[in-house]
Amino acid sequence: MSEALGRVVATERKPNTPHEFHFWTAIDSPVGIGTIVRVDGAQPMDGQIPHIYGIVVEGFSYTDLQSPMHDVLGHDGLPTMAGYASTERAEIRLYTAAVLRQIPEEPLQPVPMGQVFLAEEADVQVALRMDSYLREGANTGIPVGVYRAGGTDAVIYLDADFLLGPEAAHLNITGVSGLATKTSAVEFLLASLFKHFPRDKGSIAAVCFNVKGPDLCYLDKPGEVEKTDEVLYEKLGVEAKPFEGVEYFAPYTAKGLVLNTFRNNEALLDNVTPLTWGLREVLQFAEVLLNKDDVDAKADALIDFIKENVVDKEFRDPVLTKTHRVQSFADLDAWFRDVLQGMEKKDGESWRTHHVATIRKVRNRLSNISTRCAGLVTDSGAVSDLPFGSFTDRTVYVVDVANLEEDAQDLIFARIVSKLREHLERRDLGVKHLVVFVDELNKYAPGDGADTYVRKMLLDIAERGRYLGLVLFSAQQFRSQVHRRVVGNSGTALFGRMDADELSTPGYAVLSPATRTKLATLEKGQLMIRHPHFTQPIFVRFPRPAVMQGREGAERYPQASEISLEAAILRALRPLDPTITLPWVQEITALYSDEEVIRARNATLLARPDNVKAYFTAQFRKIIPAQAAPRPMAGSIKSAPENDPYGF
Amino acid sequence: MLVSNSGPDAASRAAVRLLMQRLPSLSPVEGGASVEPIAPTDPPILRSAQIVEGSAVRAVKVPGASGATTSGFGAFLDGAQKVQVVAHDRGMPIVIGTVSAAVRVRVDRRMITWGHQPPRVERAIYLPLRYLPTLTAADVSTVAAQSRWRIVDTSTADKNGEYPSQHPAFLLDRAIRAVDQQREELEDRLAEAWCARGEAPLFIDGGISRTTSVASSTCAIGVIKSHRTLYVQGEALGIVMSLRKGERSSVFRVAPRSRSSVLSWYLRLRAPDGHDAMWGLVRVEVAECDRLSERAEEISRWVLAETTPLSLPDGRWDKMAYGVRDCEEFLRAIS
Repeated sequence: MSEALGRVVATERKPNTPHEFHFWTAIDSPVGIGTIVRVDGAQPMDGQIPHIYGIVVEGFSYTDLQSPMHDVLGHDGLPTMAGYASTERAEIRLYTAAVLRQIPEEPLQPVPMGQVFLAEEADVQVALRMDSYLREGANTGIPVGVYRAGGTDAVIYLDADFLLGPEAAHLNITGVSGLATKTSAVEFLLASLFKHFPRDKGSIAAVCFNVKGPDLCYLDKPGEVEKTDEVLYEKLGVEAKPFEGVEYFAPYTAKGLVLNTFRNNEALLDNVTPLTWGLREVLQFAEVLLNKDDVDAKADALIDFIKENVVDKEFRDPVLTKTHRVQSFADLDAWFRDVLQGMEKKDGESWRTHHVATIRKVRNRLSNISTRCAGLVTDSGAVSDLPFGSFTDRTVYVVDVANLEEDAQDLIFARIVSKLREHLERRDLGVKHLVVFVDELNKYAPGDGADTYVRKMLLDIAERGRYLGLVLFSAQQFRSQVHRRVVGNSGTALFGRMDADELSTPGYAVLSPATRTKLATLEKGQLMIRHPHFTQPIFVRFPRPAVMQGREGAERYPQASEISLEAAILRALRPLDPTITLPWVQEITALYSDEEVIRARNATLLARPDNVKAYFTAQFRKIIPAQAAPRPMAGSIKSAPENDPYGF
Repeated sequence: MLVSNSGPDAASRAAVRLLMQRLPSLSPVEGGASVEPIAPTDPPILRSAQIVEGSAVRAVKVPGASGATTSGFGAFLDGAQKVQVVAHDRGMPIVIGTVSAAVRVRVDRRMITWGHQPPRVERAIYLPLRYLPTLTAADVSTVAAQSRWRIVDTSTADKNGEYPSQHPAFLLDRAIRAVDQQREELEDRLAEAWCARGEAPLFIDGGISRTTSVASSTCAIGVIKSHRTLYVQGEALGIVMSLRKGERSSVFRVAPRSRSSVLSWYLRLRAPDGHDAMWGLVRVEVAECDRLSERAEEISRWVLAETTPLSLPDGRWDKMAYGVRDCEEFLRAIS
C-alpha cells in the first residue's frame, strides 16, 4: 500500500458532507485538480473500515500571512529581498474533493476524518464503479483513455451498455476547433469500440458524416504514432493501426466529372463510391429542401399527388398529349410542361383541383432541386447509395458532404439517417448497432432558430435511437448552443479544451472554478469525461489516432481538379478495370453527348460488372457513323481554243 | 511563550466531573475561560552587570548585517501554557494547566518538528488541597489515576514554612506560577536534549541561564523580548535605549545568584522611530566564550536575519522571530 499523502480535515466553516470533503497534503504532493484519492476512515462501521473515493475539484494554498501588506513590510517593499528570508512562511495545500463513491454505500454519511491515499488502478475501478462492468460475465468495458496522476496509470472504461444502449446511449463531444480533439477522440473511440465491443452483443458499424475539412477522409491510411502514444495504445489494448474496413461515399461535383470530396485523388478511389440519387429518393424528402414558405398546404397536396399517382406509374390524363412514366427529374419536368400546356390550351385555371399557380410553383421548386443539389441529384434517376441491408461488421462508412451546399448536406443527412432507421427497425441493415457521427451540431441541431427537418431527426435519434441500436456520436464547439434535448440525452459527454466564454455559460456551473480552468487549458489528447457510472467528471488522456491526419492526407493525396470528361471517365473506370486507357475512352465516347457519357459511367459504376468495357460500351445507343456521299463525276469542260481569249 | 485562551476541552470537563463526585459543593465555571497571565508583581528594576567587552557600554554597529545575511540558526525552541479556572469550591480555584514545548527545525527554509525529541504536552490539576478539607488523599489519588493527570497542591507552605493566604486570587497566582514553572521545565528539558546532541545553533525564546548545561552550550542562544530587568544603569541605559536598528550594546555578563552566568548584549532589531524605547529591542544570551566580540557580531547578524518574514499578526512582532511564532502556532495546534 502506498503512503498516505494527506489527511481529511473539517471545520465548522468548511465541514465535510456525504458528497464533498477537504484534505491537506504536503507542499510537494502529486495531487492536482482531477486526481482521484481514497480516504480510509479511522472508525469501522458495521465491522468494516469505510473507504471513500473522491476526485479533487478545487485546491487552495495559503500561508499564515494575514495581510499582503505584512509581506511588503517584511521585505522593505523589495520583492528581491524575499528570497533572502531565512524561513519560508508556513504554507498549506488544502484540497476539496467531490465524493465518487463510499463503501459501504449505506448509510450514506459525511466523509469521516482519515488518511488520504493516492488512488491506485484498482481503486480507480472501484471509485468509478467500473468494477460492475469489468467483472467476468459482463465485460462491457470500452477503453476511452488513461487516467494519470502521481504515477498511477489507470485505464478508464465506458460501459458499452450505456454508450450504445440499451441502458443509455449517445455520446457528445465539445471542444474548441483546431486542436484535433473532437475528431481525434471519435476516431480513437471508434477504434476502441471495434476492438472491445463484445462479439456476443452483435455487430457494429459506424456512419460518419464528414461535414468539414479532410479529417475523416484518410481513416484507412496509417498515420504517425509517437512513442508516448504507443504506450497508451498498449495500455488501452487497442492496436495502433488504421481502420481495416472503410467505405467512402461522395456525390459528384456540379459538372459531374469528379467526386466532390477531398478523397478524389486517383490513388484513393478504390473504396470511394459515388452518391447519386434520383427523383424517387429526393421526393421522399422534399420537405428537407422546401421550406414552409415554399410549401403551403396546396403545394403540399400537389407534391403528395405526384408522389402517389405520377412517379413510377403510367400516368394518363385527357389534358396530356401522351402517357407519362415519370422516373427522373427530366421526366417530371416533361410531365409538368405537358400539364401546363394542356391547361393553356383549355384555358383552364385549375387541373384536378390544383391551381395553375400552384402547379407552376411546385414545378419551379422541384425542378430547382436538381440544380441546387447538382452532383447528388441526377436528372436521369440513376441511384448510387450506401449499402443499406448489407452493412458489414466493424466497418466505417464515411459520407463526405464537406464541399456541398447546405441544402444538399441536409438532404443527404435526412435521407441516410431515415434509411438507417428504417432498416434498423426492420433489423435488416446488416449490423445490429450503428454509430452515426455528426460534427457541427451547433449548425444541425441549434438550441434556437427554425425547427428544421434535420434537427427533428437528430432529436428523434437522441430520444429514441437507443431502442433501435442507432447511436448518435455528436460534436460541436459550443454545447450551450445545441438543443438541450440532444445533449441532454447523451449518456456520455466528452469535453476537450473549452473556450472561456463557453465555460461561463450556465451549463458549466456544476463544475468547480478549478475544473473549469483546467478545461480551458487542456492539452491535445486530454479529455474530461462524464459517463452515467461516474458521479463526477474524470480527466483522461487518449492517444492520437493511428490514421493519417487530414492535413497530411490532403498534402500527400492532393484533391483532383476539374478535368476533361474523358479523363474523368478513365479515372472512374480504371479502378474497376486497369486495362482501360484514355484513347479507348475517347474512341467510345466520341460520338455521344456529355450527359450520355456520364450516365453510362454512373450505370457502370453502379453495376460494377465483370466486363467493364463491354458494359460501358453497351450503355450507348447505336450510332452508325455517317458515310461520305460519293462525289458525282463532273463532265469534262470544253477547253478553250488557245487563240480565243474570251472562250467563245 | 504562548498563552492560549481556548475553552475547556472534553478531557478537562471529564476531570471536573471526577472532582464534582468528591466535592459536592464544587461549582463549575461556565465556559472555563483561560486566565490571562498575571501581571508581573516584580517591579521593573535596573541591575548592574559586568562589562566584558571594553570598559563601558557603547553602541556597536553590527557589521555585515543586511537583508541578504544568512542566519546560522538551525532550530527554534519555545513553550506554551494554558491556565483554565474550570471550577471553584466555595471560592477556592480549581485550575487546569496545560504546558507544552517544542523544537522546530529548519530544513530547506521550512520548519518541521525535531524528530529526536517529540514535542511535549503535559497537563495538571492545580488544587489548594489545604483549603479543600473534604477532599481526602485517597480522592486525590483516584482523580489523578482516572484523569491520568498530575495533581499539584497550590497551598503548600513556602520555604519559610508559611502557608499561602486563602484569598482565591492569591491561590490562583500560585497556580499560574506553578504552571509557569512546569513550562520552563519542559523547555529546559528540550534545550538540554538539543545541546547534548550538539546540533545546529538553537534559537531559544527566553533566557538560557536556568540550566547549567544549556547555559554553557555554544549551540544555545537565548533571545529575551521582555525587559522587566534591565542590565544597564546610568549613562549605559541611555546608550541602550538609543540603539539604532542594527546596533548592539557592548557585551556584559549576567550572573544571577541562582543561575549560571552567561554573556549578554542588547540588540535593536527595528528602527524605534515613532515607537516606544523598547521597540525592536531584544537581549541576547550566549554561553561564556573567548573572542566574544566576534561571537556577539555573528549571533547579532543571525538574530537580525530572523526578522523576516514578519511574525505578524502577533503583537510582539517587533521582537519576535518568525521561527518562534512558528513554534507557538505549532504548540497551539497540538495542545
